[in-house]
Amino acid sequence: MSTISVASGKGGAGKTSIAAAIVSTLGLGCVFADCDVDAANGAIALGSTLKDQEAYFAGPGFRIEADACIGCGRCAASCRFGAILRKPETSIYTIMTELCERCGACQDNCPTRAIVAYEKRAGTLFVSETRQGIPLVHAELVPGEDTSGKLVRKVRDRAEQIAEGNSHIVIDAPPGIACPVIASLSGVELVVIVVEASASGIRDAERLIELVGSMKRKAVAIINKTGLDDTMDRRARELIDRAAIALAGEIPFDRALRSTEESGGTWLSLDGDVGTRIKAAIRFVLTVIDGPSRERMNGGHPKGEDHEVRNSDR
Amino acid sequence: MVIAVASGKGGTGKTTVAAHLAVASRKYQKPLLVDLDVEAPDASGYFPNAEIREPPVPINVLAPRLLEERCTGCGLCAKSCRFGAILAIGGVVTMDEGLCKGCGRCIGACPSSALVEIEVQVGVSSSMMDGALGILEGRLSVGDTRSTTVIEATKRRAGAIASEIQVRDCPPGVSCPATHAIEGADYVVLVAEPTQFSLHDLGAAISLVKGQGIPLGVVVNKDGFGKADVAAFCEAHGAPIVGRIAFLRARAESGAAAKLWTADDLFMREMDTILARAREDGQKTSRL
Repeated sequence: MSTISVASGKGGAGKTSIAAAIVSTLGLGCVFADCDVDAANGAIALGSTLKDQEAYFAGPGFRIEADACIGCGRCAASCRFGAILRKPETSIYTIMTELCERCGACQDNCPTRAIVAYEKRAGTLFVSETRQGIPLVHAELVPGEDTSGKLVRKVRDRAEQIAEGNSHIVIDAPPGIACPVIASLSGVELVVIVVEASASGIRDAERLIELVGSMKRKAVAIINKTGLDDTMDRRARELIDRAAIALAGEIPFDRALRSTEESGGTWLSLDGDVGTRIKAAIRFVLTVIDGPSRERMNGGHPKGEDHEVRNSDR
Repeated sequence: MVIAVASGKGGTGKTTVAAHLAVASRKYQKPLLVDLDVEAPDASGYFPNAEIREPPVPINVLAPRLLEERCTGCGLCAKSCRFGAILAIGGVVTMDEGLCKGCGRCIGACPSSALVEIEVQVGVSSSMMDGALGILEGRLSVGDTRSTTVIEATKRRAGAIASEIQVRDCPPGVSCPATHAIEGADYVVLVAEPTQFSLHDLGAAISLVKGQGIPLGVVVNKDGFGKADVAAFCEAHGAPIVGRIAFLRARAESGAAAKLWTADDLFMREMDTILARAREDGQKTSRL
């Protein structure tokens, strides 16, 4: 089994569309793990039917029972996150859930045991099947819930259960560089870095490349939305060059890509120059992960130089 | 008055809208653009001539260090940690600082004072001036996971500046970073684009903002770029549309290069309208 993670740093760079095109190219035998649990769009990209779902619990939250609170304020003093305040015009305290990190320090410090832990569903894990019959594991975090990194791990675990020993897992990673992204990149065989050819896209890709390097993952890059600004196109190429990352291909900014998705297709269904470039880029990615003669059916992991760094990072 | 610009889906145009709302707010006292997308801070890219007036301020968190000679291996610290940052196996305690949120609970749990706290840097905040517009940027260190610490520290620094208007550029998504970034705002502008991806994520963002009890308005960016019906979606979700920005290839081109669209009169008028609406609706609700 080998895992490919599609990431970008910046949101809206084209991760989901590129991940969906890789999944469609691999076809049956791969598993699509949509780890953008804040904004999961893999199911929309490939059209899917729900097969199974389970509730996701992230660990307890805390609340203060007003009856038992004596207003001593020890909870507020123990909270490092400024999440506990005295209710205006009362002597009792309350926890602001949007600031609470759920560490439980307040509970340790309450002399009257007024702080109780409660379990609350933080999201849902789904297993679906795409129109092509490919298993898709995705999830939805309840808006405002914490611990998206943990939910990413759940999505990956489920995808690994479904994937047979010799199949590929394709991960659609969330934007950014923090916990859910690290959880989406840890231990993967290849990271496809989508660089949007824009000032913001290049800056964010630069930070992602640094992260991927520190995690010792092998990477290739796809530059997306080229042709809008020559300087940005050039800078994107220079960035990839400097980082000594192989360039799998460049995809021009083209409204046809949007219309293809609207009519229910992936980027692969596009003809002409853009379609050819996309297919070539994906072929490049699969060659990197599987070696030049891609024989998916005979299985086994290619014995590449990245093999020794396969161990998980955290 | 704090206006937060957020979205759900990334890449819909949050930073573009936030930067231009900040430009439109120059007519107010001490306008401030606050970049809280600390994993991917890009707002300052629109202001290449902004002056950095002081060195970046480090953002630190208190993290535990183990004094091995005092540790008895009882494992109570590991038991107290909700983030899985401490492991105690066979009397040997190991720490994964990357998972530590600096809550300090383990310090109190240790019966033999074997844990001490030291300051660890997790990011920086930088202050810039572009004419009268202040820009404050939070930036998470690469490899660190504590975005919310950086967001809160940047919010505190912004809160100390007496500005009539602050515009926050928020991170995408609807989990902890986005929650922290919109918390305390008087009004939230949600930027959406007319695609199915964006609508799906907009629904989650609307419920996040409503859950915090903050008034909101939706700005349709790249209007005409896709066919998804944002108006019908917003009506069904009880979210007013407060602005529309038509998709034009020329805008996509200058946006790619992070060039301000201040010469685009139609667009800047739309920014004035959004700002006026945000001020009006945002002032109706009094904050805690």
